[in-house]
Amino acid sequence: MASVFQEFTKGLWKEIPPFRLVLGICPTLAVSKTASDGMGMGAAVIFVLVLSNILISMVRKIIPKKVRIACFIVIAASLVVSVELLMQAYAYPLYQSLGIFVPLIVVNCIILGRAEAFAAKNPVLHSAADGLGMGIGFTFSLTFLGALREVFGYGKLFGVPVFGAAFKPFTFMVEAPGAFVCLGLILGAMNYLTIWQSKRQGLPEPDLSAACSGCRACAIGESKQILEG
Amino acid sequence: MRELINMIVVLSLISGASGLSLAFLKQVTAKPIEEQVLFYVQGPAIKAVFPDAENDPIADRKKFQTPDGPVTVFPAKKDGKLVAVALEAFGPGYGGQIGVIVGIDMAKNTLAGIGVTTLKETPGLGMRVTEAKYQKQFKGLALDKVGLSGKGGTVDAVSGATISSTGTVTAANQAIAIYKSLKPKLEGAF
Repeated sequence: MASVFQEFTKGLWKEIPPFRLVLGICPTLAVSKTASDGMGMGAAVIFVLVLSNILISMVRKIIPKKVRIACFIVIAASLVVSVELLMQAYAYPLYQSLGIFVPLIVVNCIILGRAEAFAAKNPVLHSAADGLGMGIGFTFSLTFLGALREVFGYGKLFGVPVFGAAFKPFTFMVEAPGAFVCLGLILGAMNYLTIWQSKRQGLPEPDLSAACSGCRACAIGESKQILEG
Repeated sequence: MRELINMIVVLSLISGASGLSLAFLKQVTAKPIEEQVLFYVQGPAIKAVFPDAENDPIADRKKFQTPDGPVTVFPAKKDGKLVAVALEAFGPGYGGQIGVIVGIDMAKNTLAGIGVTTLKETPGLGMRVTEAKYQKQFKGLALDKVGLSGKGGTVDAVSGATISSTGTVTAANQAIAIYKSLKPKLEGAF
């Protein structure tokens, strides 16, 4: 079994959720208009993901296999409502700008994906590290994408103007299509980087068509076999 | 059979524990949320209704009991005397309830103005009830003469948004009705 530290760091680059696992794309595209929106969404996801991983890992031995998805959803949904209430109470402007996407964290594939693929099979500490790593990776991705779109779309970064007054905002970037184009370019750049890295190390070119090599989210089929067996 | 009972027990326990903790959290956060909503949602609308109030209408707010539940009343004072009050009421819109802060001038018995708090209308159509051009029609209207121009009143509806316009007028009249029932209590209260 990999060390706790490895479980934490894999979410930061090797399995960084939106760019490598391509999970949680809905909030990635929708809540990355500005860097601070992305960061706020990411913080909410870190909170939910770490706690849901810990809780699910704690109760993983008493949850009957047949109702595990229902249990995971109940736990994730309760955490999301908690985040929503806390955000309303202490960070209302953030709540206003994230809007509908906070309740939607509950159906974010990352939460259920990590619960099913990792927390349901691993001890508490490893699950917490996995959740924290994945959450930080997700936050980093959203903030990066948000910063990119904000810089070109509004000419600002975290609300601070970065170009002179002569800059004409490239409004396309803060509209929905801009998010797709940006994400596509980032995914392409990440693949290019991976290929370039392995070439430099003299390794054979990695097979990127199976980009899910590092991910265990598809282990749902695996647990089905356990159920049947 | 054992497995079935096990499933039911575990799922009920998890749901029950979640429900309990959420109820607790809801209670704890109720007060801060109310303050945040006052500051971020109702605050700007009240400022728009009373631009020249000399007190802080939000800090001086008071709750009054009505047959339909408690109502929060925001007073506006000039030279230390109560001149107007504002209260929030709701009317049915196209995408849910429309919340409107209605300011009432107590001496003249007219509307001091309206400001929209919660609104989920269609962008470009119903959302236009927030425009100053629409809202300033309410200013100075006599309390019993608030209505759309199609129905005997003087307020011109936003074109293409009859339901949203009707909703704001309904909310305004609702607020006026609450005001009238509370009026005897209001004068001494602030």
